[in-house]
Amino acid sequence: MPRADRLYRVLLRLYPAEFRGEYGREMTQMFRDRARHEPPLRVWLDVARDLIVTVPREQAHVLMNDLRYALRTIRRTPAFSAAVMLTVALAIAANTAMFTVVNAVLLRPLPFADSHRLVQVAEKNDRLNLPNFGASVLNFVSWREETRAFDQLAAIGFTSFNLSGAGEPEQFVGNRISPALLNVLGIAPVAGRGFTDAEEKPGAAVAMIGERLWTRRFGRDPSLVGRVITLNSTPVTVVGIAPAALNLFSGGDIYVPLTIDRAKEIRLNHVIFVAGRLKPGVTLQQAQAECDTIAAGMARTYPEMRDWGIHLLTFFETFVTPQLETALLVLLAAVGFVLLIACANIANLLLARATARQKEIAVRTALGASRIRLLRQLLVESVTLSVFGGLGGIIGAVWAVRAINASLPPNLLPIPEVHIDATVLAFAVGLTLVTGVVFGMAPASYAAKADVNEMLKSSRGAGPGRGRLRRGLAAAELALATVLLIGAGLLVQTFLNLQGARLGFESSGLLTFQLAPPPARYPVNDKAPLFYRALLDALLAVPGVRSAAVSSGIPFGQGNYTTSPFMTVGPSPLPPDTPVPIDWRIVSPGYFRTMAIPLLRGRDFSDRDDATMPLVTIVSQATAKKFWGDADPIGRTLHRPADSRTYTVVGVVGDVRSTTLNQESPALYYPMASRVWPLMDVAVRTDAPPATLLPVVRQKVHELDAELPLATVRTMEEWVSSSATQPRLSAALVGVFASVAVLIAAIGIYGVLAYSVNQRTREIGLRIALGARADGVVRLVVKEGMGVALVGIGAGVVTAVALGQGISSLVYGIAPRDPLTFAGVAALLSLVALAACSVPARRASRVDPIVALREE
Amino acid sequence: MSAPLPVLHILVALADGERHGYAIMQDVVARTDGGVRLGPGTLYGSIKRMLHDGLIEELDERPDSDDDDVRRRYYRITPRGRRIAKEEIGHLATLVRHARAAGLVPTR
Repeated sequence: MPRADRLYRVLLRLYPAEFRGEYGREMTQMFRDRARHEPPLRVWLDVARDLIVTVPREQAHVLMNDLRYALRTIRRTPAFSAAVMLTVALAIAANTAMFTVVNAVLLRPLPFADSHRLVQVAEKNDRLNLPNFGASVLNFVSWREETRAFDQLAAIGFTSFNLSGAGEPEQFVGNRISPALLNVLGIAPVAGRGFTDAEEKPGAAVAMIGERLWTRRFGRDPSLVGRVITLNSTPVTVVGIAPAALNLFSGGDIYVPLTIDRAKEIRLNHVIFVAGRLKPGVTLQQAQAECDTIAAGMARTYPEMRDWGIHLLTFFETFVTPQLETALLVLLAAVGFVLLIACANIANLLLARATARQKEIAVRTALGASRIRLLRQLLVESVTLSVFGGLGGIIGAVWAVRAINASLPPNLLPIPEVHIDATVLAFAVGLTLVTGVVFGMAPASYAAKADVNEMLKSSRGAGPGRGRLRRGLAAAELALATVLLIGAGLLVQTFLNLQGARLGFESSGLLTFQLAPPPARYPVNDKAPLFYRALLDALLAVPGVRSAAVSSGIPFGQGNYTTSPFMTVGPSPLPPDTPVPIDWRIVSPGYFRTMAIPLLRGRDFSDRDDATMPLVTIVSQATAKKFWGDADPIGRTLHRPADSRTYTVVGVVGDVRSTTLNQESPALYYPMASRVWPLMDVAVRTDAPPATLLPVVRQKVHELDAELPLATVRTMEEWVSSSATQPRLSAALVGVFASVAVLIAAIGIYGVLAYSVNQRTREIGLRIALGARADGVVRLVVKEGMGVALVGIGAGVVTAVALGQGISSLVYGIAPRDPLTFAGVAALLSLVALAACSVPARRASRVDPIVALREE
Repeated sequence: MSAPLPVLHILVALADGERHGYAIMQDVVARTDGGVRLGPGTLYGSIKRMLHDGLIEELDERPDSDDDDVRRRYYRITPRGRRIAKEEIGHLATLVRHARAAGLVPTR
């Protein structure tokens, strides 16, 4: 009996405190009466039903009261409330927008069925330090026959197409794909069908059109399926429309079957991307183990595969680079810091206001409101404020995400667009509620703890506890701002270092575009070189063109960046027969002059370096150094094991940064006269601004071939600048976040001091009356403020040292713990804090002792 | 105004005299042959709101303390409570009449 009693009393705790206080005893008594007269089971069933219905009702009742009260308070202090809501709105909007990107890139699975089972099957060569290399068609075929760990494997090759016939000719990036690819990815054609296994054999004139191109050029016309189009001057039947998700691999718009002609392939031609779908239940480790066995077997069968192995990567590893991941997480952390600073600042504002409301709170406490009740009411108030702010923030985030999508540079993210989805909304709502609780907790707990007598007696005596809390909050704000500003300083210097990086060529005054004369009409080893020769002659005749050249891949462009292993014969610092991976390009004579790459030794290519002559090459300085040290490289030879050809070095040129601004790689050039790629970059050096020459350049191309489109027309400066997009964006965003943080933190310091001066008016008045001089008073106040500031800045510096390693992959040309940056930021923030102290300090020095002492 | 059923039951229970919580509940049980059993939360939640709305009031003195030695709170109906009870019961009676006319005869 007493035990049942006790249990009921525990259950009563579910009701709001005031209801329990008012009726708890009666209810217990009533329970006791019933328990005495009725069977226990029925009593407990009734009690359970009663609790389920009435607890939420009573709780909601109290909550509604608190809410009404909170809304009234908010209405009564519109300026204060607006300031808090705006701060929350800005912080939530920035955080939500940033999280939208993180969610889309890092958290959301790729747009394929069971994407966790998708892996890239890459080749690797530890001896050449190639951990993740393309696969060859023959190896792909062997793997496909031998593997048990995969449902299916599919290959993707990269190519480009000229689409002509219907309207203006256009050039597109495209893919050659295994018929199995759609199955592997688990996606279906939007219309029509995918390729059949029979179409893997050479001869099938079929194609799929990407959804994007279908929409843009064909207005989603369903009758396109079955129609014949002209690709690279060859008639081809469109059999289906490929979903947009398929262009994750190369931004492709046109797909043809990857035909396999074993006779024409060699195993060392690493040109395709292989995707595989693991069988259900097979782990990556198990599959890797199987692949290691397969690779070992192949190395025994095919001597050229001796040093090659298989490396499996998840799609996530393949498509999200660690650098992008770090950049996004750093940005998310930065924007999170801004939110924390905003919370601390609002908490400080609320603490200051709690002083103003001391009387009100004291009166309510005296009238019997319980502490819990007060705490809860103050929290409802702060959460209400943050919910209004959060709503504004979500609207702001919708707008910000739209702006992000509109201004997102292509190829920065592996996905075309980011969207606000349910996860993002849940994040924003959760963040808003947590924000309200966090910034409301300090003032609420303080108010609920305060001594009623003390409060009622004095109108301004805030205990030392609260002063400490406020100073601690201000110091924390400054600490976070210090970390952000150091991060911003490092990223801005990284960006400047990249801008100042020696490119090795002159990027201004260069117009570039791509051409892809169809190999059917322009075979790559005779007609195509002649076509480019004729084009360059025509371009050179144009007034304002200083020089022109073609290359299989200009620096920072979208051409072919191909790497092959090379070995040298004869004396070398390297052990004999060491293959070294070297980037190679095919270039026309005059390429180095056009790009302003210095020719350091030997000669440039000439039109006579064609197939009838001995094979020659020009190497970059780094390549020469690698193979021959400081010896003269002219006349030395390089052997390419891939096709057993040997090239004689005829010249040495300067090193060029060609893919990323932060690294230079050894390079090697072949002359164009003997062979070109199906897709080539054309670079034109002009006297006038490059863009003004575009119409006449286009006309010259069309005079040679009216069906040949100019693709990816850019100035070289645009290429270089877009390669620095990610560092520029990181630096700009963190810079903005840091500025906001510093501003809020300065306001925080100012607020704490202004409040403290206000509190000490009497004391300061007394000091002045007793003969303290104005500068003494200023020193007193500044000392208090700078004490807080230096603790904050010091804590920030320590935190930044601890976090330094986290952004090491994002910085270039500067140490992540660069002492100069740290010292500079600390000095700058000290100055900002000093400025924030000066206003309240001056006010303190002007306190009129008579007025101050008369008060109260 | 339309009062919830527990409120009407309490008003009816208090119509012929002051009662404490448990007595109200017993009265309702007796009247409804055990059909309605007001739980403590329901009862006191309703009492709280009825006090606030001025339908009932709490007695200062205890009319009978012979029941047991526990201090109990007693409630009595106010004139306003009585008026509103009449109105509400009137509405219900009308509703019952209409229901009978429409062939909805309660089976008991």
